Amino acid sequence: MYSKKIQDRLKSLGVEVGDTVKVKRGEEVYEGILMPKTELGDPNTIVIKLQNGYSIGLSFEGLEIEKLGGHRKIGFKSSEEKMKHEAGKPILSIISTGGTVASRVDYTTGGVYASYTAADLVATVPELKQFNIDSKLLFSIMSEDMTPQHWREMAKEVYKQLKGEASGVVVTHGTDTMHFSTAALSFMLKNLNKPVVFTGAQRSSDRGSSDSFMNLLCAAHFAARSDVAEVSLVMHGSSNDDFCYAHRGTKVRKLHTSKRDAFKSVNDEPIAKVFPNGRIEVINKNYRRRSDSEVSLDDKLEEKVALIKVYPGINPEIFDFYLERKFKGIVIEGTGLGHVPTTIEKYSLIPKIKEATKNGIPVCITSQCIFGRVHEFVYANLRKEYEAGAVFCGDMLPEVAYVKLMYVLAHTKELEEVKKMMLTNLAGELNEKTPVFE
Amino acid sequence: MKCGIEIHQRLATEKKLFCSCSAQPSEEKPAGEVVRKQIAVAGELGEVDLAALHEYSRDRTYHYQLFPGATCLVELDEEPPHEMNKEALETAIEVCLLLNSKVVDEVQVMRKTVIDGSNTSGFQRTAIIGIGGFIETSKGKVCIQTVCLEEESAGIVAESNGHITYRLDRLGIPLIEIATAAEIKDGKHAREVAERIGMLLRMTGKVQRGIGTIRQDINISIPDGARVEVKGAQELGLIEKIIEKEVERQRKLLEIKEELKRRFGEMKLEKPHFIDLTELFKNTDCRFVRKAVDEGGVVLAMKLEKFGGLLGEELYENRRFGTELSDYAVAKAGVGGIIHSDEKLERYGIREEDEKKLRGKLKAGKEDSFVIVVGKKEICEKALEAVYERALNAFEGPQKEVRKVLPDGGTAYMRPMPGSARLYPETDVPPIKIERKLIEKIKGELPETPEEREKKLMKILNPELARKIIVSENYHLFEKIVNELKVEPKLVAMTLEETIVSLRREGAPVENLNENKLMELFIEYKCGRFVKAAIPEILRYISKNSTESVSYAVGKLKLEKMSEEELKGIIEKKKKEGKKGKELVEEIMREYRLRVDAGEVSRYI
Repeated sequence: MYSKKIQDRLKSLGVEVGDTVKVKRGEEVYEGILMPKTELGDPNTIVIKLQNGYSIGLSFEGLEIEKLGGHRKIGFKSSEEKMKHEAGKPILSIISTGGTVASRVDYTTGGVYASYTAADLVATVPELKQFNIDSKLLFSIMSEDMTPQHWREMAKEVYKQLKGEASGVVVTHGTDTMHFSTAALSFMLKNLNKPVVFTGAQRSSDRGSSDSFMNLLCAAHFAARSDVAEVSLVMHGSSNDDFCYAHRGTKVRKLHTSKRDAFKSVNDEPIAKVFPNGRIEVINKNYRRRSDSEVSLDDKLEEKVALIKVYPGINPEIFDFYLERKFKGIVIEGTGLGHVPTTIEKYSLIPKIKEATKNGIPVCITSQCIFGRVHEFVYANLRKEYEAGAVFCGDMLPEVAYVKLMYVLAHTKELEEVKKMMLTNLAGELNEKTPVFE
Repeated sequence: MKCGIEIHQRLATEKKLFCSCSAQPSEEKPAGEVVRKQIAVAGELGEVDLAALHEYSRDRTYHYQLFPGATCLVELDEEPPHEMNKEALETAIEVCLLLNSKVVDEVQVMRKTVIDGSNTSGFQRTAIIGIGGFIETSKGKVCIQTVCLEEESAGIVAESNGHITYRLDRLGIPLIEIATAAEIKDGKHAREVAERIGMLLRMTGKVQRGIGTIRQDINISIPDGARVEVKGAQELGLIEKIIEKEVERQRKLLEIKEELKRRFGEMKLEKPHFIDLTELFKNTDCRFVRKAVDEGGVVLAMKLEKFGGLLGEELYENRRFGTELSDYAVAKAGVGGIIHSDEKLERYGIREEDEKKLRGKLKAGKEDSFVIVVGKKEICEKALEAVYERALNAFEGPQKEVRKVLPDGGTAYMRPMPGSARLYPETDVPPIKIERKLIEKIKGELPETPEEREKKLMKILNPELARKIIVSENYHLFEKIVNELKVEPKLVAMTLEETIVSLRREGAPVENLNENKLMELFIEYKCGRFVKAAIPEILRYISKNSTESVSYAVGKLKLEKMSEEELKGIIEKKKKEGKKGKELVEEIMREYRLRVDAGEVSRYI
């Protein structure tokens, strides 16, 4: 944003962002479009986009500004074109929720923000013309702003689409919390009949190198043509633009801040390799097949669940906050096999686990190692944790356990029943066998 | 004629512009590669850039070679850029000041869309650092338009069948781009301007030297012609020729435009049908046609109505209008070239009777010409589309376009001229405020002008050596040795500019003679360990045994300066043999040239 001083001055001159202006300081004269100011620049410097396309910043002090004819609307023009269906092509439903995959440079804030619809993506990825696309903009938010409420709305919309004619559903989503959403929908959508495929991008689609094009195309192929009636996540399989992996929605996690192949299957093999030309190579045959089953929606969640990471020196009083605020369930991301500080009385979390359990609040144990499974008996300290009432969640990812506990607690508050459900495989989140090769 | 040039010069910074990788091209072998695609996207103002679309239409696959030490996730477009390199920014400001340009108050880093694959991200990061300015030339002032600081592109290694290999060590090296106004008078003047700017850049002592580290793009247009950007002239010697040929080409294209007007009047060149002539060529003697057909390809042809004879028109020596059509087909469809009616058709095994048949099939009379392409059907169609497009363009005269330099100074079509839609803000890098204090500080430390330097050097060196050292990449080392070690300037200049050059000519690996080694050499010399004449021997040895010290080399080569006693002894001995005067000095020098100075011998006699 420009400073108040600049804003007032521009207002008095009748100059708006996007106007063509002439700017003078002594003998220097510049002509160009007045650009919006990013939040990072000096608010007392105005930015002019010159005719050659470059922008420059000029100190406002001592500048004369003159409005010339012409005004440009700054920003990306969203396509309003309606797409007609053509006979013989599979129908694909694309639900856009925001994130980098559907983002462009936003000039008012200067950052990359969600700002365009799935229809625009179709315009950028011509190969998508082989499908009849029903696109819907559900929300335009970055995934760090997603809440359980958004999961519910997403599940409802996907459910609606699954009931319709579409061969499959693609959900475009910000990458940061995409694996939470895939887990949530995995639990909420019962008896899935068709593929539900989440996809996103690590590089914004304003650049020619964006991974969004291939990700979206592979997701479309997987949703429209694969036999995998599960909630899956389709993203780059490597740093190359050669194939994507389709990961199971409950067995996947973002493991890199910026790389294209940030998502990896954890404690499971990816379901399939998906190539941009439509070829699908199944890797893991253990998946739910496409069918005529009657899909149902069960979107109840108990939101008062916490995910707590254990670290050396963690103050056990942290638990008091959750207990006082009447949280209904806790997931602990323990160390190694699921440890929490145990032996030194001052730091021991065992009394807190006991207290919670006594009050009917389940405490579920996962590992911050991400890979591997937790174990309740290998060490004495693990046994103490177990005896205190902790529920060891096998090879379930901490994020998935968090979402699952919300789901389970919305269906029962009975501690024994909660334990039983947490340890029952509902949507592929628990594997009895850990694959050797990952 | 209107002409302006753009100079691109790599900076000799330690690190790259937006990451901490080494800014020196790697000498290692690539450690691996990643494979990517790129796509045309809309620019800041919502338009897709024409040049970007053009590249996308070619559907190519890019292979990027990785080099440890010179590539990280930033070059791979797998990590956002880091802060802009301060050393590079300060050098760019210094260059602005040398060119009398006004430094902007706040640098706005932009993304310039480039999808020929030479940037993994699909854009090049670039920023205007200075605006305006001028240089003095023999034909008056030439104005500077902009001084930009940008990322060097990835270096192309190979290209075949839609697969292009680039090396990523080059990507992201800081590059200064200086654009002059279209005020250059002629080819000779263009060369002078390029030389002058090149000299100013070298005066900073902060630019890379060697092949490919400085490149010129030339913008040329003639009245009624079109602005053409000729990319990548690396040799200054070619600039005059390039301009001369481009002017000729545009003039000739204007003539062709007139001729077409005469032939067509109000009529339009209708899009011709593409006719499959594969059958006609099934018994051809022409090898490449046969090979293509055997591999399932086709021979596709079209008539160009009323174009008879025009394709053979020479635009300049050894370049015909037909080649312009062919360039389009090569660039847009990726074919090897086209065959057209104004060539010697026997070359392709097409005899006179074949041509008759061919013309019959195409319904082409003498007043028409025709074009043939060979290959996969879709590619042939694309190629003929491109040829038709170029033929249509001929009605408008020269086209606004980007062309590449050919070895003879001619040019070939590369792609359409990019628009301003290709630039939009790089939001991963915040704008950089340039404090006036910083500019003042740099102003205080500016290098002398080339004239001042020349004047200074003329006092201590002969004119020939002075001119050599003034433009030399070794200038800063020369100054350091002369000022810090107080070695006589002539010896230093001769060693740096002549001895090392002749050692290189004889094949010695002189790249091993780095600054440290040369400093060591002159320190030992200053201490009196050896005489001037021994320097070539020592340097030859050191270049081949670069891990050994100069001191060790002198001992090993037995080149220690002769001691007073030893010299006196030798003189005595020679005197006893009856030698004296000039003859005595000459004989001693003949035998002990590398260990003693003639002056010293004379002194003891």
